[in-house]
Amino acid sequence: MEIEFTLNGVRKRVQVEPNELLLNVLREKLYMTGTKYGCGIGECGACTVLLDGEPVLSCLVLAADVDGREVTTIEGLARGEELDEVQKAFVEEGAVQCGFCTPGFIITAKSLLMENPNPSEEEVREYIKGNLCRCTGYMNIVKAILRAAGVIPQTP
Amino acid sequence: MSFGSPWFTLPEFTYHKPKTLKEALELLDKYGEEAKVMAGGVGLLAFMKERLMAPSHVIDLKGVPELGQAIYKEGEGLTIGATVTLNELARYGPLKKFGALHDAVRDIADPIIRNRATLVGNLCEAIPWVDTPPALIALGAEVEIRSLKGERRVPVKDFIKGPVEIDLEPGELVTAVHVPEPRRNSRSRFIKYNTGSEFALVSVAANVVMDGGRVRDVSLVYGAVSSTPQVAVKAADALKSAEKPWEVLDEVGRIASEEVEAVSDVLASEEYRRHLIRVLTLRVLREVMG
Repeated sequence: MEIEFTLNGVRKRVQVEPNELLLNVLREKLYMTGTKYGCGIGECGACTVLLDGEPVLSCLVLAADVDGREVTTIEGLARGEELDEVQKAFVEEGAVQCGFCTPGFIITAKSLLMENPNPSEEEVREYIKGNLCRCTGYMNIVKAILRAAGVIPQTP
Repeated sequence: MSFGSPWFTLPEFTYHKPKTLKEALELLDKYGEEAKVMAGGVGLLAFMKERLMAPSHVIDLKGVPELGQAIYKEGEGLTIGATVTLNELARYGPLKKFGALHDAVRDIADPIIRNRATLVGNLCEAIPWVDTPPALIALGAEVEIRSLKGERRVPVKDFIKGPVEIDLEPGELVTAVHVPEPRRNSRSRFIKYNTGSEFALVSVAANVVMDGGRVRDVSLVYGAVSSTPQVAVKAADALKSAEKPWEVLDEVGRIASEEVEAVSDVLASEEYRRHLIRVLTLRVLREVMG
C-alpha cells in the first residue's frame, strides 16, 4: 500500500507493507537513521518521534497509521547548521555518552518544552521516565533539559 | 541487532481502517477469531512482535469518530470511547470527579506510552497488574459491548474473567466504558506501590460514601495481588458497621489482608503482598475519609 506523509516538513510518498512499522520505514526506506531501534517493544524510548507534534514510539506505530500525518525525527530539529536549543544544551552539558538514547531523549525533551516551557526538575524527571539511558547519564540529561528551558543559566 | 529477529518485525496481516462503527462490526463479524482490533497498538503490536498473537486481520479503530470521544453528562456519568488515549482522558476536565480513575490514569507507564495507549485497551488486556481495573470496579463501571447482533453491558468486575481472559465473544467489540456519576458525599482514590519495576506490586482503589461520621458504603478493590482484581467484602462490612470508623482502620486493613487472594511471584512474596495490602488500605482510607 502507498502512504503519503510529511517528514520533517517534506512531503514523502512511500510504498509500505501493512506489517511494516514506522521505525523500519524511517530507517530503511527513507534513510533517516537518527531514530534508533532499541528494545523494539516499547520499553526504552530510543525510537521516539513526534507524530502530529506528540511523542510516540515509532517501534509500536504501523507505517500505515501515519498516512496523511506529520512526523518529526531528530533530523528535523536543526535549522541547517544551527542546532536546536535542546541539542545545544545536550552538547553543552555533556549529556551524551554513547549517544544511542540521545535522539529519543531530545525528541521527548522537545515535546516537554513545547507543552511546559518552564518545567521543574521533578517535572523533567517524570516526563522522561519512559526514556532509558543504559550509560545511566541521567544527571546531565536532566541538567541539559533544564538548561534548554532557561531554568539553569548558561555557564560561560 | 538482527533484522530477522522477531522483535523487529511483525507477522503478516491484512490492515483494515473502517470509517464507521457499522463497518468495523461487519469486519469483526466476517473475520471473527482471525481478527484483532487495534486502538493505540501499544499492547497488540508488542504481543505480535513477540509472536504471542498473530491475527490475519488487524482492524484499526482510530478512523471511527464516535469511538474517540469521552463524554461526561451530569447525573449520568462518564462514557469513555474505545480509542480515547490515556493522555486525552487525563486532560479531560470532568475526569477529576472520578478520583480513583483520575489517579490511576495519570500514573500509568510513562507520558509517551500514554499518548497512544487507551483506557479500553488497558482494560481489555486484563493483565493482572494493570492499574485501571481496580479503579473502574470501585467506581462501579460497566463495559459497553456491541456486535452485529446487538449490544450488552457488563460490569467491569465480571468482564475480567481471568488473567488475559475477558467476557468477549468473536465478533464483539468493546465500544466504551461507562463510569456512573459518583454518589453524593462519596470520594474515591487509587494508590499503588511499585519499586524499580513500573508494575505495581499491590494497588488499591477505595470509594466511600460518608454519612456524618459514619461510612454508609465502601468499595475496596485490589490489583496486582492475584490473577484478577480482588474485592474485599468482609473488610468493607467491618468499616460500614463501625460506629466510629476512624478507630477501626487498622482492623479493616488486617481483615482485607487476610481476606483477598494473594500470590507469590518474581516481584513479591505472598507474605509481602499481604503486608502491603494492610498498609495501603490504611493509607487509602485515610485519604478518602479525610
